[in-house]
Amino acid sequence: MKLRDIGKRYGRQTWVLTHVQVDLPPGELIAFSGGNGSGKSTLLRIVVGVTRPTTGRVTDRPALIGYVPDRFPPDERMSALDYLTHMGRVSGLRGEAAGRRAESLLERLALVGGADTALRALSKGNAQKVALAQALMVPPQLLVLDEPWSGLDSSAHGVLAEIMNEITRAGGTLVFTDHRESVVRANATRIYRVAGGSVTLDENPTRMTRPTETRLVLRAPVNEYGIPRTADWRSCAGVVTAHDNGAHTTIHVTSAYADELILAALREGWSMVEAGMVHTSQVSVHGGAS
Amino acid sequence: MIALCRYTMAVMLHSQRYMHPMLLFVAVAVIFTGSSDSVPVAAIYGPVSGVLFVCSAWLTAALVNVEDPVRRVISVVHAGRSRSVLLATVLVALAMSLLVSGVLLFAPLLIGDHSITPDDLMVGVLAQLTGASTGVAIGLIVSRLVIRRTGYALVTALVLMAALSFTQGLPPINRLIRLLAYTPDAPGLLPATAGCAAVAVALLAASTLFTDFIAARRD
Repeated sequence: MKLRDIGKRYGRQTWVLTHVQVDLPPGELIAFSGGNGSGKSTLLRIVVGVTRPTTGRVTDRPALIGYVPDRFPPDERMSALDYLTHMGRVSGLRGEAAGRRAESLLERLALVGGADTALRALSKGNAQKVALAQALMVPPQLLVLDEPWSGLDSSAHGVLAEIMNEITRAGGTLVFTDHRESVVRANATRIYRVAGGSVTLDENPTRMTRPTETRLVLRAPVNEYGIPRTADWRSCAGVVTAHDNGAHTTIHVTSAYADELILAALREGWSMVEAGMVHTSQVSVHGGAS
Repeated sequence: MIALCRYTMAVMLHSQRYMHPMLLFVAVAVIFTGSSDSVPVAAIYGPVSGVLFVCSAWLTAALVNVEDPVRRVISVVHAGRSRSVLLATVLVALAMSLLVSGVLLFAPLLIGDHSITPDDLMVGVLAQLTGASTGVAIGLIVSRLVIRRTGYALVTALVLMAALSFTQGLPPINRLIRLLAYTPDAPGLLPATAGCAAVAVALLAASTLFTDFIAARRD
């Protein structure tokens, strides 16, 4: 998907956006970073297709789009389940399928307060979970999130990261905004800086990469004779190295597979001693032609 | 579209905003239909469709204004086009107006002593369609999508409704009311009423396109 020479102004007022050139390739986590009033929310609405640009063209916009606003309006007497089911139906799902999908999303996001409670009775963090869920009713090819971490409870941040990874791994495009530099650098594979209506690609080659490996130290379960169990960790998905020093096993695993591995180990009776990130020395540059 | 209409209907029912205009309509219409035992049936339709005109404008504006702008954006993303969302609002407002006026107008007439011919019934349907369509058309123009400030919207609504109701011979509303009031038994009533209904529906289509155009520019 591409934005070419996009400009936006309302009536005869100043231009909110001018000469914006943006590439949104599939499989990438793209951030629009900028302060308040920089035009990033308008840009997001143009990406999603709700706002028509005054000049320029948007090409190759995917058919299935999800949009998560920065705040979900609280004043609604409908329940979360009903609202999601309605949105699912509007997107083309059949009634039953929409209901089931809504329930499973609310369960995954751990909505506190009940799926049948009126939206206006939910806390802000829980209302934002509904905002996220509605965008996922039909798995989107393009997911656009406006300040996603700000409104969500910290307990849901893990699920949000999982969801973002799932979408990009499946070849979808993910676009988000945040005004905090640390959040943008920690999550984005491509950063656009938005300021005063202009958008520039951040080609800074010295920026920190996302850590790609996780280091796990596990303790094996012992049998009735006191002999620790062994396991062939190298055959597990994502494992880069595994060293057994008798008491503990140290495993380096690609971060995307870390959770699966930990879950499997815990199920088999292994104990986790330590977990941390490994920063690779290789720096990757994102910029230029896609 | 059906899913959008169901959603719009659910939002309307939850908000209870439909109650004010519909209760006003019911109250006034009951007065007209109740006190009309010796009057030709067609003569009731005129004033009732006039009241329906006002109440359906109110209902439409309330229906549009009750939906939060951010939630509207979400609906537009799900639907794919903002025009679909607007069309759903138009259909729900129209259906609600016609349903309430239909039940109120035809049930007592069928149960009571009036001798009502199929032509009369048809004139009644067309008269209500005229009132409801024109009302929804005005309601869209004075809603938040076109006129942001409630004060200006109210004044514009009153001016437009007065112009359409009192300008001598202007279709569809004034012309319809004069037709039904002064020539209630004329044989040419059906085609003339159909003409007013056609103008009203055309007005509604024009108003929908205009509102969509303005709303898209504002978004």
